[in-house]
Amino acid sequence: MNLIIFPVIFYLLSSFLIALLWKEDEKLSGIACLSFSILTLISIISLGKHLILNERIVYFVGNWRIPYGITLMVDALSYIFLLVLNFILPIICWFSLTYIEKYTKSGYFYILFSLISAGLNGILISMDFFNIYVFLELSSLASYILVAFGLRTEELEASLKYTMIGFIGSTLILIGIGLILGKTGTLNIADFMSAAMSLKKVQLWFILGLFIAGFALKSALFPFHFWLPDAHSLAPSPVSAMLSGLFIKITGFYLLIRFVSNVFIMFPESKIILMGLGLVSMIFGALMAIDQIDIKRTYAYSSISQIGYCVLAFGIGTYYGYLGAILHFIYHSFSKTLLFLNSGAIEYRYKTTKIEELKGLQDKMPYTTTTGSIGMLSISGIPPFGCFWSKIIIIIAAIKSFYYGIAFICVIVSIITLGYFLKLQRNIFYSKKEMGKNEEVNLNLLMPMVLLSVIIFFSGLILIPELKIYLDKAIDVMQNFSYIEIMEK
Amino acid sequence: MNKGMSEIVKTISKIVSPFIIIFGISVIFYGHLTPGGGFPGGVIISASFVILLLAYGKEKILSKLSLYKSDILHDIGALMFLSVALAGFIGGTFFLNIFDKGKLFSLWSGGNLIFSNIAIGLKVGTSLFLGIILLSMVRIVYKENKIEFYEKKEDIK
Amino acid sequence: MIIYLAISIMFFIGIYGMMAKKNIIKMIIGVNIIGYAVNLFFIVLGYKNNGIQPILVPGVSIEEFVEKAVNPIPQALVLTSIVIDLSTICFLAALSIRIYEKYGTFDLEKIRRLKG
Repeated sequence: MNLIIFPVIFYLLSSFLIALLWKEDEKLSGIACLSFSILTLISIISLGKHLILNERIVYFVGNWRIPYGITLMVDALSYIFLLVLNFILPIICWFSLTYIEKYTKSGYFYILFSLISAGLNGILISMDFFNIYVFLELSSLASYILVAFGLRTEELEASLKYTMIGFIGSTLILIGIGLILGKTGTLNIADFMSAAMSLKKVQLWFILGLFIAGFALKSALFPFHFWLPDAHSLAPSPVSAMLSGLFIKITGFYLLIRFVSNVFIMFPESKIILMGLGLVSMIFGALMAIDQIDIKRTYAYSSISQIGYCVLAFGIGTYYGYLGAILHFIYHSFSKTLLFLNSGAIEYRYKTTKIEELKGLQDKMPYTTTTGSIGMLSISGIPPFGCFWSKIIIIIAAIKSFYYGIAFICVIVSIITLGYFLKLQRNIFYSKKEMGKNEEVNLNLLMPMVLLSVIIFFSGLILIPELKIYLDKAIDVMQNFSYIEIMEK
Repeated sequence: MNKGMSEIVKTISKIVSPFIIIFGISVIFYGHLTPGGGFPGGVIISASFVILLLAYGKEKILSKLSLYKSDILHDIGALMFLSVALAGFIGGTFFLNIFDKGKLFSLWSGGNLIFSNIAIGLKVGTSLFLGIILLSMVRIVYKENKIEFYEKKEDIK
Repeated sequence: MIIYLAISIMFFIGIYGMMAKKNIIKMIIGVNIIGYAVNLFFIVLGYKNNGIQPILVPGVSIEEFVEKAVNPIPQALVLTSIVIDLSTICFLAALSIRIYEKYGTFDLEKIRRLKG
């Protein structure tokens, strides 16, 4: 049972130990961070054995019972997110062992990386409003600093914009938590639900509106997306991969799922708001990504579009909608991480990411070309790679609920996605201009990308019936669970 | 030429600053009985160093408490806090209060609160001092399209 | 009731300072004022009329303590929130020093090299 806290403990221990002992030595600090990440992955896998027997695990910190202390909880939905998070983090750490060498003071990178990981793990396990806020702020603050890590001119301006807008999002969430404390006097989610029956409907709508605005700011849905293209395209590549593949999903999408379907269960019509936001950001992201001249900016706008898919599928609300949302989260995390690491490998060798200066990489870097093409085909929705399955399930969900217009728009946005990725492939990889001597990137940079592309190739196998029961348990949590059941024990 | 401020300011800050440090330590140690605790006590301790920094100039402060020493102290504070939390594993759950709680209103009545207050006070005091001194170490002067960095004030012409 | 109105006026002054001014330093002061307004809102939530401080000194009986003491939970939350805001302001100040080194000015109209 103590295995729940081990992710947070290991990552905090890693950041404090690297700060004390190994800050000057860059190789050793990287290896320390990688070993703590692998230890965390092992502890999460062995937590799964406990979770199969019971339905959820509840843990009381310091042995204080519910209204007096902090509680932690892991159930089937949190466990899927924990597995994906702790599986991708060692891969990013492995990639950045060679990539960060060209920056000065690269010992500090691993300290901040461990702090972001500790914060993200903490959000997934906590069952207390203020605990979620503290871990959210921890990881956001470390990510503001990491975006400005290279100290070029454009990175500083992007980080300034990102910090100010992220601070407003956190303040909106804090005001919502303050209103909850004032009206019910408790901060535990289970305790709040039993006291929320006596509040008026208008007050609960106001609190839910503040929370949806705060989480939509953190996850870059349509009217709140201004910080994302600058921050994700100018950060160093491992940082972009972690931000775009994990951060906007856990601080935005996961908290939206929890709050709309497990805490505020008395408003089932709030999913229509999410459906509208998701639809508009889907179209907007795809249209803005067509005309960009920089590789990483195209990927950043494509992230806005794919997050719109996830939120739209969650807003539709039936069984197939929930299944499509979770599957699209899993596949898009792996694919977008692979694409950003790929652009990092290209930048490591050629020092630029603009399309006009990079042509004909197919002969010079064969492995990078193959893995990059697999990532791009996967997001566009080509069988048998990953996102094909999730997009088909989302379209089926829209048709079964008689939203024929939304299904048609989904298909059109898929075709536009395929369009701009084919433009990138033709111009960068498969054209004929000569670029220099034959050079391939380092083996250390190639192995993470090959591992990710093998996983994407075989990842359609999640839908076989033996493994699908675990996804069904998570969907059952989203449909039928509310936190009042913990109080009845 | 004398560095720093005038003689009156130097004498007064030399007399007052040990009392400020002792007041800060008392706020940290009695954190479970009176208002205060780790974080405000740490801020008070760092304020006493900042008064000396303003009165005497940064070379004299850095010869007494160098950047290297305060870097190590603030990491030790963080590790001490984490080890207090991990010591609860001996009793069963994380962060359990396993120390003996003596009689009411005495110094030793809080269990492991006193250790975590000391750890946080150490960390916050040195971190704030490091932050203020690092932000003020570099002078930037922008002169007609060229930007230059200076470390000492006498180099600016 | 009047105190909540004053806190909301302070919050909107902070938002005005953050959005309508062109100097980076004035924007940072606006961010600071927003932080102060939210912390003040938290502390005022736990107030009771004619309340005593929530500290158990040897002269106070338990019944009087439970009935008249001010709520101490928001005070603990405000401590955490002050630390987080302090770190954000410190990082923004360091960032603006580096921006002055690269661009030569603090004016936000001239710090616009990114578009599209």
